[in-house]
Amino acid sequence: MTQAEPMEPVEVGEDAVALPVGGAEFKLALPVFEGPLQLLLHLIESRELDVLTVPLAEVADAYVDHLTRHPVDTANLSEFVATAAQLIYLKSKRMLPAEPLPPLPTGSDEPDEEELRRRLLEYRALRDAARAMGEWDGMTPVMRREPRESDLPEVPAEPLPASILAEALASLAAIPEPAPPPPEIVAREITIGQQIAVLREALSRGGRIVLQAILERCGSRTERAVTFLATLELVRRRQVPAAKDELFGPIVIETLPEGSR
Amino acid sequence: MSAEVEVYFEALLFIAERPLSTAELAELAEVPRAQAEGELAALAERLQEDGRGIRLQRNEDAWQLVTAPEVGARLAAYAAREEARLTPASLEALAVVAYRQPCTRGDVERVRGVDSDYVIRSLLHRRLIAEVGRRDTPGRPVLFGTTFMFLERFGLTSLDDLPPLTSDAAQLAALVDVADGA
Repeated sequence: MTQAEPMEPVEVGEDAVALPVGGAEFKLALPVFEGPLQLLLHLIESRELDVLTVPLAEVADAYVDHLTRHPVDTANLSEFVATAAQLIYLKSKRMLPAEPLPPLPTGSDEPDEEELRRRLLEYRALRDAARAMGEWDGMTPVMRREPRESDLPEVPAEPLPASILAEALASLAAIPEPAPPPPEIVAREITIGQQIAVLREALSRGGRIVLQAILERCGSRTERAVTFLATLELVRRRQVPAAKDELFGPIVIETLPEGSR
Repeated sequence: MSAEVEVYFEALLFIAERPLSTAELAELAEVPRAQAEGELAALAERLQEDGRGIRLQRNEDAWQLVTAPEVGARLAAYAAREEARLTPASLEALAVVAYRQPCTRGDVERVRGVDSDYVIRSLLHRRLIAEVGRRDTPGRPVLFGTTFMFLERFGLTSLDDLPPLTSDAAQLAALVDVADGA
């Protein structure tokens, strides 16, 4: 977009505020406000008002105006909005004819000007302290003694045997290269049903099989996986019992005696 | 007799590889705790008043010898220590913890009026603040306090060296007056 082109009126974004449009109150560098108290305090201080005495309702418009023109950090949006609501409430109270209000029930969360003022004062005191701390941060550091060598934790005295590395390398080398891929992709479907048939067939011959032996004969990983799933399916249907005596031991599958099916 | 214990403490803290607690020092010197406190205070004062190159630093109940803040800048050049600057948000949170400790993350957020989870975590990470316990309220929130690292970085001998908050008391009193007058 260049200035020579005729432009549609556009929504003025946050960056556009920085255009030099003149005016005494114009500020080039707009501070970014992280929180509502920071913004409120800035509005009061930039008008050279006294936090102690200024009716906070007087800054309500400026506060809301700022929020509508400058997007704020969404993480703290609710805080900004809550404070806006509080200020608008305080302003509305001032605009209405004075009328004695009924006393608030204790523990009410009715916006209270004094409470907000107290928070502003507390925030200002700590903000100023933080600014001062920023000034002398690291200016006059004090240092403790550097730890001596003897203070440092000891390294294990026993070196690890080098043979561990050699063994690790050997076992890596022992893993066979993966088989070269087939020249073309062959779509092959193996279903659990098929493998159930294979298992039944094997069982019908001996009445007792070792699952690992069946899996060894499988051609591919998929076939193995499906065969295993087929076994699980048979066990789930309670058509065969499967037993295993030890961890990683042979899994024995048997045909059930006729009567118990 | 008394000077003897003070000298012993000075030497002990010189070789100590970590801050020592009052109780530990009392036990090592075989003196009552109250006397140890007194000796340590006297040592701190002597180092300060004689304008020595080292000072006695206190955090909570622990003590360590550190260099004097006056020579800090020149030492930093020697030790090539350049700390990354703290952001205004971190400084604000750190100020709240420093002046209101022990305090919770909620306390920091209430004063600042903004979510302070990230800055608290970054201060913890820089070890300028540390967990010092839990508050006995629902949820048992973690309480934070400043560390030796904080004192070292800001050149403080103890938390008593923190400058008073501007006016706190005077302004809050004035606030009450204004409220009464209105």
